[in-house]
Amino acid sequence: MTSSPIIAENLVRHFGDVQAVKGINLEIKAGEIFGFLGPNGAGKSTAVRMLTTLLRPTSGTARVAGYDVVKDADMVRRSIGVALQDAAIDPLMTGAELLALQAVLYGIPQSLMKKRSDELLERVGLTAAASRRVSTYSGGMRRRLDLALSLIHQPTVLFLDEPTTGLDPMSRLTLWEEVRRLNKEGTTVMLTTQYLEEADQLADRIAIIDHGKIVREGRPVDLKAGVGAPTLIIKTHADQEERAKAVLETFGDLRPGAEGALGVGLRGGAAQVTEVVRKLDESGVHVQHLEINEPSLDDVFAEATGYRLEGSDNAPPAGDNGVEEPDKKKKSRRGRK
Amino acid sequence: MTSTTAVLSQTQVTRSPATAVRQTVALAKRSTLELFRQPATVLPSMIFPLFFAFLGNSSFGGTTSLPGFPKVSSYLQFQLAGTITQGVLFGSVTGAAALATDIENGFFDRLLAAPTSRTSILFGRLAGSVLFGALETAVFIFVLLPFGADVSAGIRGIVAMIVSGALISLAVGALMSSVALKTGSSEAVQGTFPLLFILLFFSSAFFPRETMSGVYKTIAGLNPISHLVEGLRALSLEGFTASATARAILVPLAIAIVALLIANRQLRSRLKSH
Repeated sequence: MTSSPIIAENLVRHFGDVQAVKGINLEIKAGEIFGFLGPNGAGKSTAVRMLTTLLRPTSGTARVAGYDVVKDADMVRRSIGVALQDAAIDPLMTGAELLALQAVLYGIPQSLMKKRSDELLERVGLTAAASRRVSTYSGGMRRRLDLALSLIHQPTVLFLDEPTTGLDPMSRLTLWEEVRRLNKEGTTVMLTTQYLEEADQLADRIAIIDHGKIVREGRPVDLKAGVGAPTLIIKTHADQEERAKAVLETFGDLRPGAEGALGVGLRGGAAQVTEVVRKLDESGVHVQHLEINEPSLDDVFAEATGYRLEGSDNAPPAGDNGVEEPDKKKKSRRGRK
Repeated sequence: MTSTTAVLSQTQVTRSPATAVRQTVALAKRSTLELFRQPATVLPSMIFPLFFAFLGNSSFGGTTSLPGFPKVSSYLQFQLAGTITQGVLFGSVTGAAALATDIENGFFDRLLAAPTSRTSILFGRLAGSVLFGALETAVFIFVLLPFGADVSAGIRGIVAMIVSGALISLAVGALMSSVALKTGSSEAVQGTFPLLFILLFFSSAFFPRETMSGVYKTIAGLNPISHLVEGLRALSLEGFTASATARAILVPLAIAIVALLIANRQLRSRLKSH
């Protein structure tokens, strides 16, 4: 039995005084889609950059496709496909030209280049756009081209760094389908995302990363079950919040809600809602809005980190932990992906 | 792990000097295509030197009779070497700035994430600059020839000048690439522009050192740009002599070798720090 294609042991990376990744352990099994979920600056990209040989770990080790990411970096590079959110696709080149360049970079013989490139263009639906410059591509087309580029050498392990960030819902679905298809064909996929739904839909297992540490790991269904109780969310007048909290606390643990809302995990299940409302009424709390949510990955996230990933301003400011690497300026004369 | 899909990566992917050469050629092709696909960034390095040449010809045309000025048929004949050096200098900055932009927008990472020969990343860029430098040199010679920029060295001399222009590109391109690799910032690379301008004016690009005096003469004598210009100039003034050709080729070649060593060092240190 061969070992797992991605193994990280106590992986740490500092940038000066900032600890971007504070010791993560991972084991991703062959054939899995593994989701790395976290807000901007949580350390996702830094971790992926270490696993893809672009950054050296400050300490700890990682093996990808059976090779050490520091000692056998070149073998790792040959074995993996990488599509990075921050790595621009040259807008002045055409899709076909970029695929040809990529084929040369991966040492693919001239005789196979054209066939391979045509297959990939077909696969991601870019055959008609192959001879157009990338500057004329939509965001979704660029991501699909990026995916095609990462597949040129038929890697068994694929890293996708925020593959759908900034895409419209249709393009996102198309990309998800393609990732599933690749996975069915046997490719192990590690993807980072800040979208709960993406992790939930695509990943067999996920890890939630916050402030450089993995705070939860497992199958989405198990993680959700682990949160247990459904969440009751209410909104009330700001001056009645304290009284409302006192009431809610008697029904279960308070959970962070979106801006201006209070949440509680109902220990006794959804059946308790009427009682909660009665108690609130008795305490003179005027309920303006009420909803009940079955546990979601957002609840898992909130329970693990103390804040919500989506629809919340509670997230720690970006840059608090994750640093922008010095060269990753968010601008470019020649445009970004 | 399934081994079927790995067939290509494990049996047919090759790693050899030939692969590195193929990679360098492919990356050089990209650099060159890029230059031609955004004319707005390269045209200034063609147009400004020509503008300076014509301006100089009409303003300083009379200086050719000053004592110490070499025997020339026109100021343009003298000026041609300065024009070429100026154009090549600016063109090389554009190439190095493109390397810095690759670092900024992540294309560099794309290359690093692939099993790309690290040296070919640098040489691919430089090869683009060298081709552009050769092209610029040829354009300057052929544009200025009808206006009196006589090249006494004839066709062989013109070829030698083009080779010299290409080598100057390599030297300056490698130095500027060091700045790009060190800083990873296209602004920093373009920030060297005024400095290059000053260096150019404190060289023998526009006047012969023989007509200079004092500190100015000393600086121009120490300035490597003077020596680059004078090698080229020897070809246009003296003709295709062994000494002129040697100066035109060997001076930029020596600077290029030193510059390449520096650039390679910067590349290694960038790779190491990441």
